[in-house]
Amino acid sequence: MTATSLGRPFTVVSLLPRLLDTNGDAGNARVLAQRMRWSGHDAQVVDVHSRADLPGQVDAVSIGSGTDAALLPARDGLRTLVEELRVWSNNGVPILAVGTGWELLSWGVDLADGSVVEGLGLVAGHAVPRATRATDDIIVASKYGRLIGFENHARDYVGAEASPLGRVVHGTGNGDQATGPQIEGLTMGEVFCTHLHGPVLARNPGLADHLLLAAFSRHGLEYSRGALAVSVDATAQAARNQVAVRLGQSAEYPNAGNEKPRR
Amino acid sequence: MHFVSSLRYAPAILVGRAVRVLARWRKPGGGSAIPGVVVNRIAPGFLATTLNGFPLGLVIVTGSSGKSTTTKMLVAVLRAHGLNVFTNQSTANISQGLTSALLERVNLSGRIAGDVAVLEMDEGHGALIAESLTPRVVALTNVMVDQIDRFHDSEMVAALLAKIAARATETVVLNADDRYLADLGSSLDATVRVARYGVTAAVLGQYPRGLGYADTAANRLPAGTGLQLTRVVGRDADVQFPTGDRSIRLPARGIHYAVDAVTALSTAQATLGESFSPSVACASLSAMPAVFGRGEVVTVRGKTIEFVLVQNPSSFQLNVDSLEAGTEQILMIIGSDVRDPSYFWPVDTSGLGHVLIASGLKAHDIALQLAYDNVAVERIEPDVPTALDAFLALPDPVSGVKTIIFSADGMRRTRAHLGLVSNAEDPE
Ligand SMILES: [Zn+2]
Repeated sequence: MTATSLGRPFTVVSLLPRLLDTNGDAGNARVLAQRMRWSGHDAQVVDVHSRADLPGQVDAVSIGSGTDAALLPARDGLRTLVEELRVWSNNGVPILAVGTGWELLSWGVDLADGSVVEGLGLVAGHAVPRATRATDDIIVASKYGRLIGFENHARDYVGAEASPLGRVVHGTGNGDQATGPQIEGLTMGEVFCTHLHGPVLARNPGLADHLLLAAFSRHGLEYSRGALAVSVDATAQAARNQVAVRLGQSAEYPNAGNEKPRR
Repeated sequence: MHFVSSLRYAPAILVGRAVRVLARWRKPGGGSAIPGVVVNRIAPGFLATTLNGFPLGLVIVTGSSGKSTTTKMLVAVLRAHGLNVFTNQSTANISQGLTSALLERVNLSGRIAGDVAVLEMDEGHGALIAESLTPRVVALTNVMVDQIDRFHDSEMVAALLAKIAARATETVVLNADDRYLADLGSSLDATVRVARYGVTAAVLGQYPRGLGYADTAANRLPAGTGLQLTRVVGRDADVQFPTGDRSIRLPARGIHYAVDAVTALSTAQATLGESFSPSVACASLSAMPAVFGRGEVVTVRGKTIEFVLVQNPSSFQLNVDSLEAGTEQILMIIGSDVRDPSYFWPVDTSGLGHVLIASGLKAHDIALQLAYDNVAVERIEPDVPTALDAFLALPDPVSGVKTIIFSADGMRRTRAHLGLVSNAEDPE
């Protein structure tokens, strides 16, 4: 007999949302929790500002992006959670890290003045300054569907070549490499890192549902998209299509690409 | 006093005017920055020389948010004191738009009839043109996390504002509740006077989410060290002057309008010096018509509608929080001006409860955000005229008034479709 319920609310933690929510990326925790509820399960978001806020059980983790002024305090805050982050990533707890939040999980951040902010060293690679800020819509071809979002970063990312999130169709992504394919993001097990800021999971439910599949399967539970999610995802698809068509790409239709978890 | 009286710029002015006539001819009714481009090309000193030449000098209003309302309030207060004021409307490219505006009023000797110039400046373009200007007074409203696709960091915005403030020859007026501005004030050259204003701890306490500043200063302004907002309830506010408290009626509901009013009063005081009269100032503020799109209530096709303009995440949050409880008919129009849908994502929209129609170019993006905030959206209609017609055709709501929340682009489309003319102060 397979379990149908967790017996407690699913718990999504949002790490350091006071420091890491410049573009509302902390809202990705809310997106995961809503989709859990829409699939018929209890869910809660717990904001973690320090170790004292950590709940007993963690089912998914969201880390947003912050300003450069917050780099050091955010790094120091994340460092106090480094053991938990290591355990979660080893145990397949899905983790989404956006922008600065991703950079701080890496080996480190090279700043324009030549100094370096040492990262947590949880994922390979490091961030290096760009000549000009990359600010634009971005389209990425990934195995979680065509991801469409917005990027705004002053640094490239070097060292994600072995396991990127996807290939850049429009935009900058990890950087302007003269050679090789243009890539965006980084994945390591169920850790997902990206420059797509703000509501990346709301706009790209294919990626959200992959994280949810991982969170559910750890408990032997099956995830199925709720009825409300189906209609909300149609809205997300319309929003994505608008950007795609403006940038000369084709529109997608229901049951193509993103709307199924995998094909 | 320095009047500009040479004919140096006469040829450029004449060319600029000719281009203006041609531009109008090609696009009837449309204001154009093209004459400004032409004059700035053939006489690059024209703008600075003319702006620096007013008898009572130049006043610049800048900051992340509230500068447009503050400028309008300040102009009303100065005019009530009998001054002839030259002012601008905000345009994307301030130097070209300004030059075009100046061309309408300037005589061939390059002089403009007027006592004082009051300019609203965007922090980015303002910092670019400020180097050539010598404002008597610079007023700083706040530093908000705003326009994220242009200025990512609050530090960067604060640095741009510091650049403009450094040009002040007499007074820098600043919001002491904004930590970035408070710090900026203590690092200014000692030859410049700093006029601080703020709200009381009790007023701040009414807003658990704060007033939207990127960082709020730890302490409130000590009583008696600057104009202070001591009370705000709906459209009524009290301001403490050195001579005692006075009440004002705001042009729209909301704490941000009250703070804008205190900014305008403090700036008027710095500009007018001894001639400043708190009673004249408060009376003129209270007599201002509601600013279009900023909480204005209008009647269209026999229906009463309240307009709410959201220009950045902070004002969006404050507007959602101060909406009348139980407002049952809401139309939301988010347009092409919001390029990055993340822009409003930090805002908690759950207080809206229920939105009848999401419209504008970003209709799907705002509907998506509302859905994740548990706000029911009945219809998504990107076409603004269709959405407006459907919304207006509905019978009057049982509770609250019909409320349209829009971005600046949504406001322009609404104004055009409903044939609404704007306030005389905003001739755009
Ligand atoms: Zn960023």
